[in-house]
Amino acid sequence: MKPALKYALIALALAVAVAVPFGLEPRGYATRILCLVLLFAAMAQAWNIVGGLANQMSLGHAAFFGIGAYGSTILLVKYGISPWLGLLPGMAAGGVAAWLISLPTMRLRGHYFALATLAFGEVMRLVANTWGGLTGGPSGISVPFSKPGLAVFQFKDMRPYYFLMLAALLVVTAIFAGIRHSKLGYRLRAIRENPSAAEAIGVDTTRTKIIAAVVSGALMAGLGTFYAQFQFFFDPDTVFSIPAISVRVAMIAIVGGVGTTIGPIVGALFLIPIEELANQTFSDQAAGLSQLVFGLLLIVVILAEPRGLLEIGRRLWRWRGRT
Amino acid sequence: MIAAIQALLDGLMIGGVYAVISIGLTLVFGVMGIVNFAQAEFLMLGMFTAYYAWAWLGLDPLIAAPLAFAVVFVLGAAVHHLMIRRVLKAPEVAQVFLTVGLLIVLENAALLMFGSGFKSVATSYQTSALHLGPLFISVPYLAAFLMSVACGAVLWLFLERSWFGRAMRATAQNPMAAKLMGIDSDRMHRTAFALGVGLTAFGGAVILPYLTVSPTVGDQFVVLMFTVVVLGGLGSVAGAVVGGLAVGIIQSISGLLFPIQMQNLVLFVVFIFVLAIRPEGLLGRAR
Repeated sequence: MKPALKYALIALALAVAVAVPFGLEPRGYATRILCLVLLFAAMAQAWNIVGGLANQMSLGHAAFFGIGAYGSTILLVKYGISPWLGLLPGMAAGGVAAWLISLPTMRLRGHYFALATLAFGEVMRLVANTWGGLTGGPSGISVPFSKPGLAVFQFKDMRPYYFLMLAALLVVTAIFAGIRHSKLGYRLRAIRENPSAAEAIGVDTTRTKIIAAVVSGALMAGLGTFYAQFQFFFDPDTVFSIPAISVRVAMIAIVGGVGTTIGPIVGALFLIPIEELANQTFSDQAAGLSQLVFGLLLIVVILAEPRGLLEIGRRLWRWRGRT
Repeated sequence: MIAAIQALLDGLMIGGVYAVISIGLTLVFGVMGIVNFAQAEFLMLGMFTAYYAWAWLGLDPLIAAPLAFAVVFVLGAAVHHLMIRRVLKAPEVAQVFLTVGLLIVLENAALLMFGSGFKSVATSYQTSALHLGPLFISVPYLAAFLMSVACGAVLWLFLERSWFGRAMRATAQNPMAAKLMGIDSDRMHRTAFALGVGLTAFGGAVILPYLTVSPTVGDQFVVLMFTVVVLGGLGSVAGAVVGGLAVGIIQSISGLLFPIQMQNLVLFVVFIFVLAIRPEGLLGRAR
């Protein structure tokens, strides 16, 4: 694609993204779904730094997400600290947690890394459930209501949340793209293509991957704070959930196109509305149908093209050009 | 002291079952290099098969265990043919997420078919226990342990003594050489996968007398099964036995020392440490 066309498309997409909420009911369901699309796209993008660039399949990103959600909310509940300030220690804690778990596990590849991170997510869930004095335990924690406004990160309708989520997605995407085109990004790519060769030409493979993991973990924690302020209530089983967070963010990136800049956005635009639609359509039927559809979609996409929807689209485009 | 010996004994009993449900996972990895994240869902299906065999036919879960094995064996062969076969040469990310997708599908299909409630069977021996001086052994635990040992012995004979078992091990060791010797590798993979999930279902049936079954029961076992196989060395059947017993004992001993919620926490921390220090397992890659 020519650069000029690329920038024109990005500008168009941004214009649409900014315009859309003004055409929708500000307290409506559609705006709420779009907020979730943006939030999950940002989360999948944060995962993409480790899962896509460093090629380390994390199944434990809920750990950092939950740390961020609990970090800012506990500071708010116990000390009345604004979530905007709480965001920073939350992100720091997320980064430190990512560093701690990466130290022993980053040497592991493929399945082994996936397993270790899966267990780490579960450890955090159990800790949050057990340490009730700090987290409120299994009964969850609520964000106390105050007079809505930007300063307290609380709003009456969905529109401000939409723009904050959009800003978050843009920041995370910019960081992803920045890393991808930086020295760090080239090192990560070298490691992905051939770890031994990368090591031989002097790339400190473990250290490079740990840097990626720390950035990813810190961003994920920041998004946890956004989630907490958006939902007002959560418990350990929600924010540290394997299927609802860890697997879902990985899945969004993979279905869209793992390791690409717009893959997570495409994946979230595709998966989150389908899931919500399925929930709506089948809500009077037995529970589980929408999740069943979700799982089947994942299987179909992986069997059809493990590189995701972007690659399927690219193939269709080429095929159309030929005939 | 008595409490410690008692915990050791309980751990051994549970560990034997853990070994059998995890052997399938390690077998599939050993033969075809696939880590099946959906393995615990086949445990759930085995439990449900045994439950309905009890509810409709009046069969004891211990007697229904071979039936659970057979049903899930057939299902496993179908799953391999439709899905697993197609990602054997795909990147790891595709393999991992295909089985994660399978996990989601099986769990929610079960939710639709069987409802979300908890179900359990009633047997005559459910609450009885054998007394050995100050120690006691719960009968359902002992029965599950003995059934697991018998099942493991049959599997061992199959793998060591039969032509089919040897062919399967050959495929695991060197797929190309096995192919050159005229072994149909696709058939071996299909059988290994079906056998693997069937064994796990067998284990699910024998633990039903002391557990309740629900569509989400697999969640409790996912990390546990992986801990067992990684402790013993992913791909090693003998390792899974050692890993199973170790996990059973770690669980019951930590149950003595920590509150009940912390039991799995100890296990997960052990798991992460083993992965970090000896990812090839405590026994190494020896087979």
